[in-house]
Amino acid sequence: MIVGPCIALAALGLAGGIVGGRRWPRVWLALTLMAATGGLGAALVLLAGGADWVWRSALPVGGEVIHLRLDGVSAVFLALMSVVGGAGAVYSREYWSDREQRRSAGRGRRWWSGLMASMGWVLLSANGLHFLLGWEAFTVCAFFLVTLDGRMKAVRRAGWLYLAASHAGTVCLFAFFALLAHSVGSWELGPMREHVELAPLFWLVLAGFGVKAGLFPLHVWLPSAHANAPSHVSAILSGVAIKMGVYGLVRFSGWLPVPAAAGWVVIVAGMVSAVLGIAFALAQDDLKRLLAYCSVENIGVILIGLGAAMLGAAHGGNGLQWGRLALAGALLHVWNHGAFKALLFFSAGSVLHATGTREMSRLGGLWRAMPWTAGAFALGSVAVAALPPLNGFVSEWLIYLGLFDAVTTQGPAAAVAVPAAIVLGVAGALALATFIKAGTIVFMGAARTRRPAHAHECGVLMRGAMCGLAAICLGLGLAPQLLRPILLRATAAWHPAWGGVDPGAPLVPLGTASLAVAMALAVGVVLVFAHVRRNGLNRSVTWDCGYATPGARMQYTSGSFGDLAARWFRWILRPERRLRRPRGPLPDGAVLVDRHPETMLDRVLRPASTGVLHVSTAVRRLQHGRLQSYIVYLVAGIAVLALMVLLGGSQ
Amino acid sequence: MTATLNVLVGLAMGLNLVALGSSRLPGLIRAVALQGAVLGVMPVLMHAMDWRVTLVAIATVAGKGLVIPTLLRRAMRAANIEREIDPFIGFVPSLLLGAGGTIAAVALAQALPLLPEHAGTLLVPGSLASVLTGFVLLIGRTKAISQVCGYLILENGIFLFGLLLIHATPLLVEAGILLDLTVGVFVIGIIVDRIQRAFDTLDTRKLTVLRE
Repeated sequence: MIVGPCIALAALGLAGGIVGGRRWPRVWLALTLMAATGGLGAALVLLAGGADWVWRSALPVGGEVIHLRLDGVSAVFLALMSVVGGAGAVYSREYWSDREQRRSAGRGRRWWSGLMASMGWVLLSANGLHFLLGWEAFTVCAFFLVTLDGRMKAVRRAGWLYLAASHAGTVCLFAFFALLAHSVGSWELGPMREHVELAPLFWLVLAGFGVKAGLFPLHVWLPSAHANAPSHVSAILSGVAIKMGVYGLVRFSGWLPVPAAAGWVVIVAGMVSAVLGIAFALAQDDLKRLLAYCSVENIGVILIGLGAAMLGAAHGGNGLQWGRLALAGALLHVWNHGAFKALLFFSAGSVLHATGTREMSRLGGLWRAMPWTAGAFALGSVAVAALPPLNGFVSEWLIYLGLFDAVTTQGPAAAVAVPAAIVLGVAGALALATFIKAGTIVFMGAARTRRPAHAHECGVLMRGAMCGLAAICLGLGLAPQLLRPILLRATAAWHPAWGGVDPGAPLVPLGTASLAVAMALAVGVVLVFAHVRRNGLNRSVTWDCGYATPGARMQYTSGSFGDLAARWFRWILRPERRLRRPRGPLPDGAVLVDRHPETMLDRVLRPASTGVLHVSTAVRRLQHGRLQSYIVYLVAGIAVLALMVLLGGSQ
Repeated sequence: MTATLNVLVGLAMGLNLVALGSSRLPGLIRAVALQGAVLGVMPVLMHAMDWRVTLVAIATVAGKGLVIPTLLRRAMRAANIEREIDPFIGFVPSLLLGAGGTIAAVALAQALPLLPEHAGTLLVPGSLASVLTGFVLLIGRTKAISQVCGYLILENGIFLFGLLLIHATPLLVEAGILLDLTVGVFVIGIIVDRIQRAFDTLDTRKLTVLRE
């Protein structure tokens, strides 16, 4: 059995990274890559058909013996964690190097190893107490990674918001695990679907893991943390850390009985997240914030798949078939989103590294200086917009198929499957618009300020990390039939309800179709090049409305491009606009400032917390230290009690 | 017998008003001491003479009438406190409150379901009035020592109520209460001295920083 040694290797590498990461960056990189290989190897061996790996140690931690367990579901997430963790480590050697970040680079390496180790621990541990310990360690490691560059106030604020939101979620998880352990009588986790009385606990699971996953109303921490963290940290946060929330949802919706309404709630929450997440993304001017909101959308897509799977499992009959398809799509989208979102964050980091700004309206024309980064971003954009032949399409295709089958069976689930499919389509279209906007504003056109003019391509390590992830995106898109046994194994581990349905069956024709599309694209590119070579390139000015000297300021800005579609979502985006129109025949100036606030944070959470603060301040005034008044309270209390006794006695 | 008792309780109620109206610390302490002594005599009047009741009476008169006032006076001298009482609630309002409280206590006692042998005495109204007076002193005075006096009057009210049950209460409890009270006042005497030295004031309004 090779899984155990692989995991031991990974644990050893991460422990070594934590100990020696500060001083010896090369050793750290080697150890982290070793750990990533170990984790990936273990996960893939298991997914390719190995038996579940279970390991019990007599050593008690916190009064509970260590119980580790790797099955199909956790292996999916472990593989993702290993890939993104390894790629991020390579990327960070250059992006957050000792030369440029003398103060925090060494610290960052240690926390990186710690983050990988704690996430691996969460994925493996089959004990509620240890799960919570790992979860807490993971939150803390991520906090210190987000605030690596703690000199900036925005970074510190983002870090605190992340920590506070995470702990709000952890409170739910504490309640969940404590109640679970109380009613089952042990902290051991495992399938316990026969305990029907545990079903209401699912709501705690949804709230607790939903905060971490960035489900729409609970996503408040996500945009600022992703935008302000160093880019390799944003990549692992978005690619893996929020997937831990998804892992919790998938895990416990499979292991525990769920209430009847759970599938409906999850799929509707997924729909809301998908549409509103991408609507917010479209309105952003900050490149990394845009990517962060896009993560909210993708979590929504994953939850649509999971919700459909829960509905299918509850429905039975042919629901098992389409439910399993949707679950396969959701789990595959976990991988795919991890890969292409990390790729996008890496290329955004490369832009930030080269120009020093994340604001798209200050960038432009970068593809000349940074062809590799531009290529990586373009590839990631195609993947995130779920266009064939890349991997984003494969997973969304499976979810679509599941939803379509749910519609054709005409069960009660059809009522939600139709809108879910429509929402998925709308979100995909908006994602396409969002990434056309981001890609063209940043990489095409002319430089809007002087910053992009001095940009330079990133070095070999950053480029290597991006190429690796791009290869994964391409490979998963072109050869999805390779995933067939993996999806079979992973979905089988979720719930025993499925019969002998094979969710990977549609992947075989899809693989052929993807290859055909790719071939057609390649042929088209070759033909265009041949045409250009034969006829030469004819350069001319773009249509310029009769202006003799078109300038960079006349280009579309990210705001004006996004406004086309963002207008439909004014009711929730609540843009703050300051407009001074040009007046008279010889106008002396005009101003248009658009700002998109964090609606949920600014309009809902902040007023609510201010209200709580007001009430508590008012109540706190009672506690002033004046003895005489305390005695007045006492007398008043006694008088009220006496009055109650008297009135009660007279009855 | 009941008539004598009622006279004594009435005396104690009058002393309540004296305590509320006195503007100097020695006067206040004297009123409290006298009330304690009057209360100490009551058990003897109420019950047949047996050694238990006698013991309680002697201990009360000695404790409340002599030991505690002496401790308070010593603390006052040691801390060198100004003799004037600095009221939070003025003397006339205090008196009005006290008088209102006394009337309310009498009215309340009428509404309470008492045993027939206690219904004729002023014990219950006297006890309630004393408790109320104690509260008014605690709330309305600022100096630590005058608050101790308020606390003592409050305790006297509780003692009056306890007289109804003197046979049901074990001697040990009576003795314990008395001892507690004496030690409490003893400790407060020391603390008052320390507070005066550390903060140069005994005004409890200024001692609000340590509220958390």
